[in-house]
Amino acid sequence: MKPKVAFFDFAGCEGDQLQIANLEEDVLALLDQVEVVSFREVMKEHSDNYDIAFVEGSCTRLQDEDRLRQIRKNAKIVVAIGSCAAIGGINSLKNYKELDDVKKTVYGDSARLFDTYAARPIDAVIPVDAYVYGCPMTKEEFLSVVKSLLLGKRPDIPTYPVCVECKKNENVCAFERGQFCVGPVTRAGCDSCCVNEGTICWGCRGLIDNPNENSEKEVLIKYGLTVDDAISKFNLYYGWQERRK
Amino acid sequence: MRIISKENFNQFVNSLIEDNSLNVLGVKAKGDKFAFGPLENANDLRLDYDVTLLPPKKYFFPQRETLVTYNVGQGFSAKSPSDVKPMVLIGVHPYDIVALLHMDEIFSETKSDPFYFEKRKSSIIIGVNIQKMSKWCFAPYMGSATVEYGYDLMLTDLGNRYAINIGSEKGEELLDKYAHSVQDALARDIQLVGQKRREVMMMSQQKLDFPPELIPELLSKFYGESTFWEKHSEECLACGSCVLVCPTCYCFDVKDNPDLSLERGERVRTWDGCLLEDFAKIASGENFRPTRPTRYRHRYFKKGKYLYDRFGFVSCVGCGRCSSNCLPNIANPVSLFNDMYHESQNIGVQVTTVITPEIKIQTEGNIDYVPRLATIVRKQPMTANETLFEIKLDDGSVLGHKPGQFVEVSVFGIGEAPISIASPPTKKGAFEICVRKLGNVTTKLHTLNVGDKVGIRGPFGNGFDAEFLKGKDLLFVAGGLGLAPLRSLFNYVLDNRKDYGQVSLLYGCKEPKELLFGEELLALAQRDDVDYKPTVDRCPESEVWTNNVGVITTLIPQVKFDSEKVYAVICGPPIMYKFVIADLKKRNVSDDHIIMSLERRMKCGVGKCGHCQINQVYVCKDGPVFNYAKIKGIPEAL
Amino acid sequence: MKNQNLNLEVHHITRVEGHGNIYVNVHEGTIEKCEWAIPEAPRFFEAMVVGRQYSELHHITSRICGICSIGHTLASLKATEAAMGVQISEQDLKLRKLALHGENLQSHILHLGFLVLPDLLGVGSVIPLTASNPKEVKTVLRLHRLANEMSNLLCGRTTHPQRLVPGGFSKIPSIKELTSVRQKLKEAVPDVQAVAGLIKSLAGKLPDFKRETEFIALTSPDEYALYDGKLGSTDTGAVPVNEYLSYTNEYIVPNSTAKRAKHARESYMVGALARLNLNYDKLSPMAKQTAEMFDLKPICYNPFMNSIAQLVEIVHSVEDTVRLIDELEASGLKSQPEYNVPKIKVKAGRGVGAVEVPRGVLFHDYTYNANGYCTKANCIIPTNQNHANIELDLQALLPKILNKPEKEIELNLEMLVRAYDPCISCSTHAIKVHFV
Repeated sequence: MKPKVAFFDFAGCEGDQLQIANLEEDVLALLDQVEVVSFREVMKEHSDNYDIAFVEGSCTRLQDEDRLRQIRKNAKIVVAIGSCAAIGGINSLKNYKELDDVKKTVYGDSARLFDTYAARPIDAVIPVDAYVYGCPMTKEEFLSVVKSLLLGKRPDIPTYPVCVECKKNENVCAFERGQFCVGPVTRAGCDSCCVNEGTICWGCRGLIDNPNENSEKEVLIKYGLTVDDAISKFNLYYGWQERRK
Repeated sequence: MRIISKENFNQFVNSLIEDNSLNVLGVKAKGDKFAFGPLENANDLRLDYDVTLLPPKKYFFPQRETLVTYNVGQGFSAKSPSDVKPMVLIGVHPYDIVALLHMDEIFSETKSDPFYFEKRKSSIIIGVNIQKMSKWCFAPYMGSATVEYGYDLMLTDLGNRYAINIGSEKGEELLDKYAHSVQDALARDIQLVGQKRREVMMMSQQKLDFPPELIPELLSKFYGESTFWEKHSEECLACGSCVLVCPTCYCFDVKDNPDLSLERGERVRTWDGCLLEDFAKIASGENFRPTRPTRYRHRYFKKGKYLYDRFGFVSCVGCGRCSSNCLPNIANPVSLFNDMYHESQNIGVQVTTVITPEIKIQTEGNIDYVPRLATIVRKQPMTANETLFEIKLDDGSVLGHKPGQFVEVSVFGIGEAPISIASPPTKKGAFEICVRKLGNVTTKLHTLNVGDKVGIRGPFGNGFDAEFLKGKDLLFVAGGLGLAPLRSLFNYVLDNRKDYGQVSLLYGCKEPKELLFGEELLALAQRDDVDYKPTVDRCPESEVWTNNVGVITTLIPQVKFDSEKVYAVICGPPIMYKFVIADLKKRNVSDDHIIMSLERRMKCGVGKCGHCQINQVYVCKDGPVFNYAKIKGIPEAL
Repeated sequence: MKNQNLNLEVHHITRVEGHGNIYVNVHEGTIEKCEWAIPEAPRFFEAMVVGRQYSELHHITSRICGICSIGHTLASLKATEAAMGVQISEQDLKLRKLALHGENLQSHILHLGFLVLPDLLGVGSVIPLTASNPKEVKTVLRLHRLANEMSNLLCGRTTHPQRLVPGGFSKIPSIKELTSVRQKLKEAVPDVQAVAGLIKSLAGKLPDFKRETEFIALTSPDEYALYDGKLGSTDTGAVPVNEYLSYTNEYIVPNSTAKRAKHARESYMVGALARLNLNYDKLSPMAKQTAEMFDLKPICYNPFMNSIAQLVEIVHSVEDTVRLIDELEASGLKSQPEYNVPKIKVKAGRGVGAVEVPRGVLFHDYTYNANGYCTKANCIIPTNQNHANIELDLQALLPKILNKPEKEIELNLEMLVRAYDPCISCSTHAIKVHFV
């Protein structure tokens, strides 16, 4: 009996669900192992009878919480896919601003019509069983987590920073190139893909469990960033994780 | 020595590149730095480089390497070496050559790593003397700024030409086959090369303030200086950069990757690093090196003391890669050793002697990474979390283990876990393991049934010396799951009862329902040639227990033994050892009469991957059985 | 029917990106309500970028959409570059055009193959098609994979591309890699033709519906405008992109978190059909042939033909990619440093970047202070611009199909919305069709 899976989305860009479409022919191999009973982006049918729920996007409104709780009730396993669901993602950038200002900026006088609160990962509302970090998540990691769940083993997600993968990929360190990188405190698992493409790590996979934040900030400043800009770097993706400390 | 013009040298390199049967790799520019990579044209070579991002070890011990493939229906097989073309590495600096020589010894100690040596043996090393030295490099201090051997050819840049030292027949043949117009060196060429080599010795911008031979002894005096290590590691990001770029680091992790069919997959080893937070963490969640200072200290000790004691060399070649890659700049061995030296002067610690270690290296055969297929022939749940499995090797062979050894058990698609053998070698046909459901492998194992297949590697470890213990009085002290490995010896003793003196068994668990081997223990209680005393920490109201209640040490005063003759054999949770040993010593049991079996995170089982290392000792290879007298000086042991 | 009562609520319409609702209420034969509402959680990007450095904006705004990331990133970069007076090289311009072709290919194939085809074949999703029409599904997947390979090569990855940076590229492909993609595209032409043939055989299922409206898209005298151009309209002429506000005129409606737009009429349409209506002459030869296969020519007022226009654009993108790579091969690729950071002279300024993404014309408008920090931002998403048109189309279509069974009415209304290929979380909104 193939396990039944369902996909849900909240406040996000749907990039993680697109990654599933980007599995290309592997989608067929995946469909051999699971039965998709709900995936709004791709199919009309829907069922509340599912074993594994994949959730993309952050929770940004009180009304989203009910939907999340219902999913938790229906599913045996809940997986947060993508950084928005896993750590709050880029959505949490707005948490630093006064909520009213934010609404006024976008909606002007009609701001009062739209409810919203601090963007948060879904585990701020419901218990989550597994995470696929990344903005977007990588196909490899998604498949690895799915395979682990199907085999009954805990997914193997790194607890070490991106530097490990960056070094293995023989990149020239961003700091050596006059750029500023938060790889040393960001969770690995992406195979340092952004640095491989010639840029820096932006921190999209969130902080590792025990980051040495002071050291990282001092490194950023030592290499030439202002204190404000160093803190600003931490606001990009770590908004919710930082606040939780 | 020979001479070749630079133009002819380029032709030589291009001829090598044109030969499709060779994989030609050379130092090229990468951004503002340098790296070894596939060479497409001799013009891309940058032999004037200072240091490469990653050392050439990446070709012999790759970042990622498949060791074994498996198919649930058919078992495990070694990943056949894909037709790997012989490699020609051009531009290897002397310190990297020395590092490869270190790796050769490390990868062949006790058992040889076939994956490493297969590539090493077929490759050709064309070295080049250092022209520019990175500001972090201190190779001259480590004796690796120049080399006399370890290469097939060694180049020295003499302006418009290269001098070539022939290091091997392979090198000579290569020159003969691919190079033109190679002449014999003239006297002045030879002199020039000598001069260049002397100049290299003066190039280092780092300065070690004391003779490097003192490093091991200096380190040994500083092990317990917590403030020193805390101060130096405060900024550590646990990013692993220092160890990942190091030419002599070789720790690795092994994981199983199933494909989407879930039926097939591969077992892959990847670079790991002792600086990373979870390096020494086991399935129960216990981390044997949880803090930055302890991990930071371990790297220096491994390089400067443990490997020195085992092999006779300080395993640092002074390339400076760790220093240049450490963002908070705390990884420079020169700074650390200088600090240590000056502080030793300040606190009056004398370090003047150089102790040459006693080296005992043997190599017997290759490491076998491929598990043998085995079948579960019996499954007996004993408690809520522990189940006894009886396993028989499919090829009909006997495991041939000693009591106290362990096996690495593979569950298809999940991974491998080290589990002590719980049955004595006198039990024929099959062997037993007692498995607690804790991590991925053990949890999955619990779902398997009679007839299901697993993979077995081993037996590993030193095991108990049952021969030596003949005639002695034995006091077994088992805590919880620790009874399982002790049982392999205990039952062996029972099978040969007349060969041993008085035998006592103290066994403690948290609660009655956690007792293992319940039926066997009941039978044991009936015997009059064994003094069996069980205890539980507490007994809940719902259960019946008429024996001792209290932690296991409460039993020690109750058992009769002759302190001179008795040998204590202990196994249990990490916390237990200290207290049991203390109580035994109170009864005058001497240190060398106390034998223990320890647990650590184990992966390869053969003392290579580094995870089980406690200070200089590999639990999988030098243990898991240790004599307390030998191990009490090892701080990380208990 | 005179006494017909109908309550339709499509809550979170399926097979579109984002959440949107259709509300229909017919009482005794009179249409009392036919609404298109967006309840998607707003994400406030225009506020989030205020105070961030110019070098970060493209990274942040890429996250507006997972499917049109490349388009958002390019529009964002163009706005920043316009604000700071940065010119990109001819080579980088061609590479960016290739990037946009890659995105168009990927998105259109996904839309046609996964989101529209099921309706034409009468199934709920592509999943049953893997069993009933495996050959066609594999063809779609092959084309999708190729489009992604192309995007990965140029941008690093399709979703949230890394290689696109202010002033150019952090890393560029080699000529060998480009010509390899060119070869694969040429070999993929039979696959494209197969998809066209399949859709032609099913084209009868597309309703023959027409409602006159305005079409707005980029136009250019030199080419089928995707990356550069002036802002054109089928009703009025073309204006420089800087004057986009005079065309978009965003406003808010109470039941939607998405803003709407209007220009010469009550609504206008953007997207592939708009582009085709305004740029038809510049289509590549095979693309024109494909359009002719479906009798598609300007000005087509049937929104269902947007899907066909996408098919035509697929063919055009394939041909134009080959042409661009031919040009790059002939001129040779100038190398750049391995981790390239183009030099930008930071200054205060305001810039507008407009780019055609698969769903229509996208605007990013940024204002920077002298230190390069953003002080104001405005983003107008194609789907925002379509919302009013969608509602008016729904209101025009409904009376024509009221005599059909309820399930068919629902399907037709949904197909209409799907034809627009809306990207609703981009417009920071979602669709739900509520039965009231």
